[in-house]
Amino acid sequence: MFSATLLGQVLVNGLSLSAIYVLVALGFTLLFGIMRVVNFSHGAFAMLGGYALFLLYGKWHLPYLLAVPLAALGVAALAMVLEYLVFRWFYQKMMQSMIGLLGLNMALVYSAVLLWDVYERSIPPAITTLISVGGVLLPADRLTVVAIAIVALGAFWLFMTRTRFGLAMRAASQDVETAEAQGMDTAALYRMAFFIAIFLTALAGGLYAQTYSLSPFMGDRPLIVAFVVVILGGMGSIPGAALGGVLLGFSESFVSTFYGSAVSSFASFGIVILLLIFRPWGLLGTKEAMRA
Amino acid sequence: MRRFSRMAGAVALGIALFGAASVVRAQEVLKIGAIGSLSGGGTAWGLATQRGAQMAIDEVNAAGGLKVGDKTYKPTLVMVDDQYTATGGRTAAQRLMTLEKAKFILGPVGAPVVLATISVTNPGRTIVLSDGYSDAVLKNAAHAAYNFRIMDSETEFARAMIQWLHRTQPQLKSVALISPNDATGQSVVPVLKRLYEENGFKVYTEMFDRGMQEFTPLLTRMMEQKPDLFDLNANSPGDAGLLVKQARQVGFKGVIWKVGGPAMPEIQSIAGDLAEGVMAYDQFDFSTPAGQKFAAEYHKRWSGTINAETPIWYNATKLLLEAIRRAGTTTDVDKVRDAVAHLDGYDAGVFGPLVWGGMADYGVDHQLELPFVISQIKGGKIVTLVKIQPEKR
Repeated sequence: MFSATLLGQVLVNGLSLSAIYVLVALGFTLLFGIMRVVNFSHGAFAMLGGYALFLLYGKWHLPYLLAVPLAALGVAALAMVLEYLVFRWFYQKMMQSMIGLLGLNMALVYSAVLLWDVYERSIPPAITTLISVGGVLLPADRLTVVAIAIVALGAFWLFMTRTRFGLAMRAASQDVETAEAQGMDTAALYRMAFFIAIFLTALAGGLYAQTYSLSPFMGDRPLIVAFVVVILGGMGSIPGAALGGVLLGFSESFVSTFYGSAVSSFASFGIVILLLIFRPWGLLGTKEAMRA
Repeated sequence: MRRFSRMAGAVALGIALFGAASVVRAQEVLKIGAIGSLSGGGTAWGLATQRGAQMAIDEVNAAGGLKVGDKTYKPTLVMVDDQYTATGGRTAAQRLMTLEKAKFILGPVGAPVVLATISVTNPGRTIVLSDGYSDAVLKNAAHAAYNFRIMDSETEFARAMIQWLHRTQPQLKSVALISPNDATGQSVVPVLKRLYEENGFKVYTEMFDRGMQEFTPLLTRMMEQKPDLFDLNANSPGDAGLLVKQARQVGFKGVIWKVGGPAMPEIQSIAGDLAEGVMAYDQFDFSTPAGQKFAAEYHKRWSGTINAETPIWYNATKLLLEAIRRAGTTTDVDKVRDAVAHLDGYDAGVFGPLVWGGMADYGVDHQLELPFVISQIKGGKIVTLVKIQPEKR
């Protein structure tokens, strides 16, 4: 069974899976890292990103590379209303945020049912070409997702490490009181972090819906994936989300191909359970982040 | 004169009100319970149940109501959400039986939900017309005393489909089945495996957890078995579309078809050009005059794709109301049950004359043997390849 072509295909599948998983987990880990909010409505924002891309690209036929960021921007802008009405009450309240945002998730999902019905739709792929390299097939639409994920991750990393706003956000995430004492407007910082987190989530949701399918209930899987990835990598850790996404993507590809789906699920969740027992702060997280 | 005209007006009003009251009295409400998923993964099917039943009920009411004996009833649909869970189905059935006092229930859809529902309704002597693929829906401890299955299950259509494929494409020798690892998948796969093997196929099976959307590793694994045929079987419409898309993306070039619940519009929508050539079971042919008439009626009220289960629930509701009419009672459940079982030949206008069967497979003739079609995506359009009437067993 172990042929070079098969191993190549497994690697390609793993790369494409990892790209989606990293994107899906970024927004989730950012909200937790900075505001200590466990966003149970993460999947709903991903779903809204899917519908936004469906409208802009699938229906109104905007150029793809314009439609993808515009859809995410639109959702993030509209989400600022929810930030004012709902989210800001849950900042730094981890337990309350879980229940409150689970309710928000249900409200958003069933609003989508009323607006768009329950039918599964598809967002047409930007490119349908299948590239064959030595017998290994590379679907061009998956390669596009990989490219967008790398660009998004890179831009986000630069923002967090090379800009004053990024530095301020990291400072607030480490010690909000000291950051305020230094004159930082943490309310404005939180709004900005929220905007970026929802932008990334909606971007991931759009690409996720395009890769798979679009329906009001599509957010369940991204939420589970985001949880697994950030637990693996460490809650609130951006490099952790990247590492967790890559580990989950490649391990799923390898284990599912060679041992089947049941073993893959067992292995993924088994590792998460072991990690929660022996290293609950994840591979790249910190003990302090868990205590906050 | 003015006083006289006032008096005449009052008398006329009185007569009108009395008349209206008489109509209200004559039109006693007949509650028809319905269980379906209005939330959760099976919502499309729940809406199909609700809309199909409502279309049939509205049609009867527009014609003056349902005449049962010397009374005319106004059938009214009472729909309860089961959230596509077994617990939800059981709770919905209990609510309909106790609070609403409903004696007749349409739905639910999905083997786990149906099995939970009939565990309450059979002892409670309540008639249930449902749709779930598991054999246990009809082959159960209660001998399906009060429950019927109103659409073909895998047992009915799979045998006919596999025989047809074996006859028309004898070069196909091996088949792969990738199925959800739940009550539906676990009941469907053994049936399909046996039927394929009876027709000389080598069978490869693989199961996955519902909710999974990335099938490329499983499909890559499947490709190593080099199957000629890939059967999408009991997968949900959305999963079926993804499986087609991803199978073609990992290089599967064999025949793909679906011996399972209808999903052609979704397969085409999700897989796009990659769905070309896919064949599938379809419950209803919307291209026939009866199908077009049904679709036109549907689109007067709702927009979007019509779920193929909608005409099935329309058909089931019409047959239930006809059975109540023939039984001449709305309270004697046994009489209505017997009337339902003896409706062979009744035509509700969408599927042709009804045929009950199932004795050979389930020990009870409570299985509706509906004609079905095999469709194919050709040139980007869904076309009917062949219409098949399952054999009465």
